[in-house]
Amino acid sequence: MAIKTFWTIGFRDLVRNRRRTIATIVAVALGLMVIMLMAGMLKGMVDSGLRDNIRIYTGHLQLRDESYEVEKMSLLARDLLEQPQALAAQIEMLPETKSAAPVLWASTVLSTARESAGLQIWGIDPASPFHEPLRLGLVEGSYLTADSRGEILLGKRLADEIDISVGQRVSLATGDSNGAIGDALFTVAGIFNTGFASYDQSSVIMPIAQAQSLTRTGDRASTIIVTLHDRDDTAAVAAQLAAPGYTILTWEDLNQLLLTLMETGGAFYYIIYIIVILVVAVLIANTLLMSVFERTREMGILASLGMKQRQIMLMVLLEAVILSLIGIAIGLVLGLGSVAYLSSVGFNLGEDTAGLMENMAMGSRLYPAMAPDQFLILSLLMLAIVTLVSVYPAWVAARMEPVEALHAF
Amino acid sequence: MEIIRLENVTKDYTIGEVTTRALDDVSLQFANGEFTTLVGPSGSGKTTLLQIMGCLDLPDKGKVFIENRDVTGLKKNARADLRKSMIGFIFQFFALVPVLSAYENVELPLILNNVGEKERKERVMYLLDAVGLGHRVDHRPDQLSGGEQQRVAIARALVTDPLIVLADEPTANLDTENGKQAMDIMLKLNEETGTAFVFATHDPRVVDYARRVVQMHDGTIANANAALDILQTAD
Repeated sequence: MAIKTFWTIGFRDLVRNRRRTIATIVAVALGLMVIMLMAGMLKGMVDSGLRDNIRIYTGHLQLRDESYEVEKMSLLARDLLEQPQALAAQIEMLPETKSAAPVLWASTVLSTARESAGLQIWGIDPASPFHEPLRLGLVEGSYLTADSRGEILLGKRLADEIDISVGQRVSLATGDSNGAIGDALFTVAGIFNTGFASYDQSSVIMPIAQAQSLTRTGDRASTIIVTLHDRDDTAAVAAQLAAPGYTILTWEDLNQLLLTLMETGGAFYYIIYIIVILVVAVLIANTLLMSVFERTREMGILASLGMKQRQIMLMVLLEAVILSLIGIAIGLVLGLGSVAYLSSVGFNLGEDTAGLMENMAMGSRLYPAMAPDQFLILSLLMLAIVTLVSVYPAWVAARMEPVEALHAF
Repeated sequence: MEIIRLENVTKDYTIGEVTTRALDDVSLQFANGEFTTLVGPSGSGKTTLLQIMGCLDLPDKGKVFIENRDVTGLKKNARADLRKSMIGFIFQFFALVPVLSAYENVELPLILNNVGEKERKERVMYLLDAVGLGHRVDHRPDQLSGGEQQRVAIARALVTDPLIVLADEPTANLDTENGKQAMDIMLKLNEETGTAFVFATHDPRVVDYARRVVQMHDGTIANANAALDILQTAD
């Protein structure tokens, strides 16, 4: 009953000082809009980075021999998968699977007359849907077929760096399964740009049969990269594929670094959110403090009528809550609207910024994403911090001695 | 029947380095149904006495009893509880909550006392009718004249059926007509309800209404039952 009266007094007092109230509400709304945009941008960055990593590089799952270590890129028979095409065909029969692509990895040194570079060979099935981004990313020359021999594809970043063009002949010095190093000449059939800087910079693409021949690994593969129709089916499919002698790696295992970076980035962003919220909260507390000092006499009247300290505190805190709730409501509308708009038109980062994110296939446009759980947390955080900071003006109001307050007459 | 008793009450105020004795060893009693004025020049301690009687402030020495209960040692919240049910206040500047209507201002003490809605409505309307403002219940203070505001304040002071109403210069900001009207209403309600009224005043019109006059001087009681015809209220 008393709370309803306190709401009434608080709300009407805010209406009485319209300009100050509107300015404070606008500050809350804009503050929330800004941090929602930041959260949306971070989510957009994480979502698109992860999505593109999976799409171009890691797939949802990888099946490997249990002894295979990717850092060593072993070509020993015992470390590789036998009959990878048959395995891939079995995996593709699962209804959740979109594609299963065997890949052979090997280390190589590419040399031209003027330059050389240590690279990673990707022996692929060019027709596999998993490598569609390669095909679509072709910017010069022609794509490969499974039967292509003596032809390779290189990334545009690498080609630009060591000045290679389509049609040029290059030498690849590659180790084989016996540990011998062999030289072979290849023609650059095409140049691609996936937007994934580290991939474009360090990969040599050739048909898997060509790679197997070069490395004398027979009909073996380093891994089978599996993509699914729905990322959420990863655990279920991983469980189905689990078998002795194999290692199953999920997209979470394969993107550990990215996920850790994003978590750290997310934590850092929270520091910024809290700073923005604190600035808004201090503004509200200052507004309330001014209001309390202007209403000293009124506080004295209320105390003389028998209103207790905690009731006076509650009344002032309710004003803070009213201001916050209205500001948060408007901020949510502005924030959701901004994120929705930018999620369709994108936010231009510029080529230089995109280039900094080497391990993510991020273009120069960032598309923020809706993050409803984050938006809710940020709204509640705003409300909580504003209320907490408003305890001070509420306490000032409550501790006024009625006699002193009334003498403010 | 005695309702308030002060025993050897002393109160000092310190502002900066200057300490002023506002009340000096004051002993005084007030009974049920009194209609009493405190008179004296400015600085004689009238307002301080009202504040201590009303538990808005505590004495530095001495004791205060309300209905024979020693309230001197009560903490702030306990004194607030006491005020909300037993003591009504009327101030010189009306002291209404500016954002509440006449009805809501009068209703507020009842809300603080957890009185139910039906009973609140009956009581509020009875008092607003009694002060002649039954037709102005939805008006806020800035929509009421000074006299009307003071009448709302009178209604608010009486709404909890208190033991005593303490009024500090209630007519100081009213013209002759409104001042007379306010005093007529308070006298009538005093006679009807039996609530004691104690006024601190310079206004001779208020003194004329009093059945008892307490004369104060320099924080002491010069005369606890001064005869009306020998009173002077000099600044």
